[in-house]
Amino acid sequence: MAKQTQPRTGLLQGTLDMLILRTLLYGPAHGHQIGKHIQRTTNDFLQMQHGSLYPALHRLEERDWVTSQWETAPDRNREFKYYRLTETGRKQLVVEESQWKQMAEAVARVMWPTAEES
Amino acid sequence: MRWWKINKRDRDLERELLSDLELEEEEQREAGLSRNAALEAARRALGNTLLIREQTHEAWGWAPWERLAQDLRYAVRQLRRSPGFAVTAVVILGLGIGAATAVFSLIDAALLKTLPVRNPEQLVELKNIDPHVENDAFSYPTFQNLENQSVTLAGALAFRKLHNIDVEIDGRSELAEGQLVSGNYFPVLGVKAIQGRTILPSDESAAQNSVVVIGYDFWRTRFALDPGIVGKHVLLNNAPFIIIGVTEPEFYGVQPGEKVDISVPLNAIATVNPGFAATGSRVDAMTAAFRNWLQVMGRLQTGVSREKAQASLEPIFAKSMREASASLAGLPFDSPTVRQAFLQFRVRLDPASQGLASLRRQFFKPLWIVMAVVGLLLLITCANVANLLLARANAREKEIAVRLAMGAGKGRLIRQFLTESILLGLTGGVLGIGLAHWGSHSLLALMVRGRNPVVLSVPMDLTVLGFALAVSVLTALVFGTIPAWRAKDVNPSRGLAQNFHSSAGNRNRVGKLLVVFQVAISLVLVIGAGLLARSLANLNRFYPGFNRSNVLLFSVNPTIAGYKDVVPLYQQILSRISSIPGVRSASPSVHEPLSTNVSDTSVRVQGPTPWQGEVLTPVDIEPIGPAYFRTMETAIVRGREFTADDRDGTPKVAIVNESMARHFLGDTDPIGRMVSIPGYRGDASWVQIVGEVRDIKIHDLREPSTLMLYEPMFQVPEGGSAFEVRTEINPADAQSDVLGTVRAIDPRLPVYAVKSLDEQLEDSVVEERLVASLSEIFGLLALLLTCVGLYGLMAYTVNSRTGEIGIRMALGAERGRIARMVFGETLLLLACGMAIGVPAAIFASRFLASQLFGLNPGDPITFLIACALMAVIAMAASYMPARRAASVDPMQALRTE
Repeated sequence: MAKQTQPRTGLLQGTLDMLILRTLLYGPAHGHQIGKHIQRTTNDFLQMQHGSLYPALHRLEERDWVTSQWETAPDRNREFKYYRLTETGRKQLVVEESQWKQMAEAVARVMWPTAEES
Repeated sequence: MRWWKINKRDRDLERELLSDLELEEEEQREAGLSRNAALEAARRALGNTLLIREQTHEAWGWAPWERLAQDLRYAVRQLRRSPGFAVTAVVILGLGIGAATAVFSLIDAALLKTLPVRNPEQLVELKNIDPHVENDAFSYPTFQNLENQSVTLAGALAFRKLHNIDVEIDGRSELAEGQLVSGNYFPVLGVKAIQGRTILPSDESAAQNSVVVIGYDFWRTRFALDPGIVGKHVLLNNAPFIIIGVTEPEFYGVQPGEKVDISVPLNAIATVNPGFAATGSRVDAMTAAFRNWLQVMGRLQTGVSREKAQASLEPIFAKSMREASASLAGLPFDSPTVRQAFLQFRVRLDPASQGLASLRRQFFKPLWIVMAVVGLLLLITCANVANLLLARANAREKEIAVRLAMGAGKGRLIRQFLTESILLGLTGGVLGIGLAHWGSHSLLALMVRGRNPVVLSVPMDLTVLGFALAVSVLTALVFGTIPAWRAKDVNPSRGLAQNFHSSAGNRNRVGKLLVVFQVAISLVLVIGAGLLARSLANLNRFYPGFNRSNVLLFSVNPTIAGYKDVVPLYQQILSRISSIPGVRSASPSVHEPLSTNVSDTSVRVQGPTPWQGEVLTPVDIEPIGPAYFRTMETAIVRGREFTADDRDGTPKVAIVNESMARHFLGDTDPIGRMVSIPGYRGDASWVQIVGEVRDIKIHDLREPSTLMLYEPMFQVPEGGSAFEVRTEINPADAQSDVLGTVRAIDPRLPVYAVKSLDEQLEDSVVEERLVASLSEIFGLLALLLTCVGLYGLMAYTVNSRTGEIGIRMALGAERGRIARMVFGETLLLLACGMAIGVPAAIFASRFLASQLFGLNPGDPITFLIACALMAVIAMAASYMPARRAASVDPMQALRTE
């Protein structure tokens, strides 16, 4: 049961956190917007359900990487819960990004050895 | 996040998810889907909201607590649905936990608590030991040497109890308990004054020493917390003193169980007890190095071990003993043997963080026995509640099956059951604490009566509450584990089937085991209680060498009233009392019978010459008045007893008891022999033995025969005196006449310790009575609980076998046979319980051996009575179920089947 709300590709939890933080770099957004943005940018590759965002968002909030507030949307007369990146969140994003880069490079070096090494 | 925000956060989350869903739905409809299809698609896109919410709750970090709250809510609902069960279980648990907590609170107060002083773990008690005896008394010069020369003690203090000191405040006088303390007493202990100041080292050396510090309780009860207390004048034993301070409320002295109303400096001994102090003489208490009269405690320096401190005190003490020995020179009781005795003394340091050990020694064994008893009672309680829970678990089989079928984890199910048990345990614990609060005071009342009234405060403090909490949870785990464990074996598909009782048989097997266990433990308790009760009865029936009934006791203290020569007063009291109608005879003695005063004094008997190096045999010397043995109705074996003519100026005489005569003279007639008591009153002259009497138990009913030497108290007058009055009527009825007569002679004469000899004997067995009455109460409780357990089990058995009984009856079984079947099953359980309980009791009763009197631990009569009692109880418990079984209507039983 629990598997259904995880992204189909088995997105690692930390990666989802990173993606959310990166999305919020553009400015405050509510849950639906964050979900849509990730889906659109990955061309629906991740095929995740919106729902899986919320436990992650609340976890990030518990860690003080984001803050949230109910605000009226600029385009319509309704309140949404907007998430904002905090200063610690910004730092965390840098950390996660560099970790991800290191891993991706490590994996890449194994999978596609470059000419100069061979 | 704070836990109380969870509900708000949960609503917030719900709203958040809803708005996401609405947005998604709008988008889908804009994409051209129908209303219903759009909603469906939006739901798919969002995912399982319930799961999302659960996972979000996990992210908040309070999930385990939320689950616990859920379990608790559910447990409360379950218990409220069956209030009968809940109340029964809570009451049973409350009794068990309450008993354990009450007894523990006493153990805590009497045995475990440290003194309420600064760093009590550094305190040590100094003992003065030789190869034979352990003394706790030191002379003042020895104490000063130890105090001044020690490099391992941060300080030393000395004190001496002053019993029955006469305190006169504003013209009204009363008796109080006091102590003489060295100047260092309060500073070394770290006890402060809450009014004025405590006694200080400067008071000890001051020539003017008439200062007194009072205890908080005395300030409260006697002075109503008068804020102007400091500077008030009082008379102590008729000498003027001035109150300089009040000690902290927690402080009751260094002897747990005793109270200290007043404290005066050591050198005040000269004014409060001039006879004892002998100021200015060669035996002056403040200068004589051989007069051991002070108890001494010390405080170890930080980082110094007791062993190291003892080693460093040894040379100082040895030197003091050499000085003490040498200081005997020229005194009448000086002899090589006495001198040698001093040189044999060694100093020993005992831990004293809990104060002096006498109360602990007195109540250690009794209280731990009672604790063991309540421990067993608690086990019975657990078995009882476990049985109740088992019966309920069976009834809840269907509910468990439903929960399992809906996907509840087995771990979660076990946790749910344990939560219910712990809730029961804690509720029982709360009731128990209430019962314990009331019970510990009743228990204390049992301890307080006695020769040395025990003053203890038994507060429900954190230690006691912690104990109650621990016991509650522990019992809950014990009784809750069995049903919880069985719950996980329920098979959902079979459990849901109609009318299916999958494990009734299994439940019965566990239930029967529990009942057998209860019978066994109750039997141990009942046998133990029986042994103790019979011992107490034996003690009460025991012939102590005198006739205990119809004797009135009272004590007077003429020194306080200003008498110098007490003999004429005593003679007047005796002659006036003897002429009261209903009084047969009367006699004084220095100590009342069965008081704890023992005077071990070495004597020498003419004839058997001591061989070289023999330590003189100590005997107990009791000064008594004329007609003492006639009054006590003790047989005189040979010679005569003292008369009014044995007084100052007539030849000195003595009476020995049979043990002493046999010890020194074998079968030789002691009458006419001479005896000398060196080292006693400084008089080594020979006195003639004029009588021999039967041994009597003068200190303690259990004491082995002591060597006793009686002296005529009119030849050696001492201050206070007890009177024994033999009456022809009930001593309580003679009391007012007797006391009225004494008061008529001198209204200023303090009269105290008025009671009958019977009461005095009863008070001397206070520990025995404490243990016996508590084990009786708890034994009865155990029987009752076992009875309830047995009844429950048999009722359940009969109930679940109604169909079978119906068939048996339909096939021709008679009602009597059915009833016999139920009784037979009970008997089987009983036999199994006895087979375990009797050997267990034989084993356990060996630990009681030292408490028993006049019977063996394996006393067959007690065992038989206990077993018979158990059998009667068991049969009574199964009577109702048997009747119900016999009255089953076969038609109806078969129809329901």
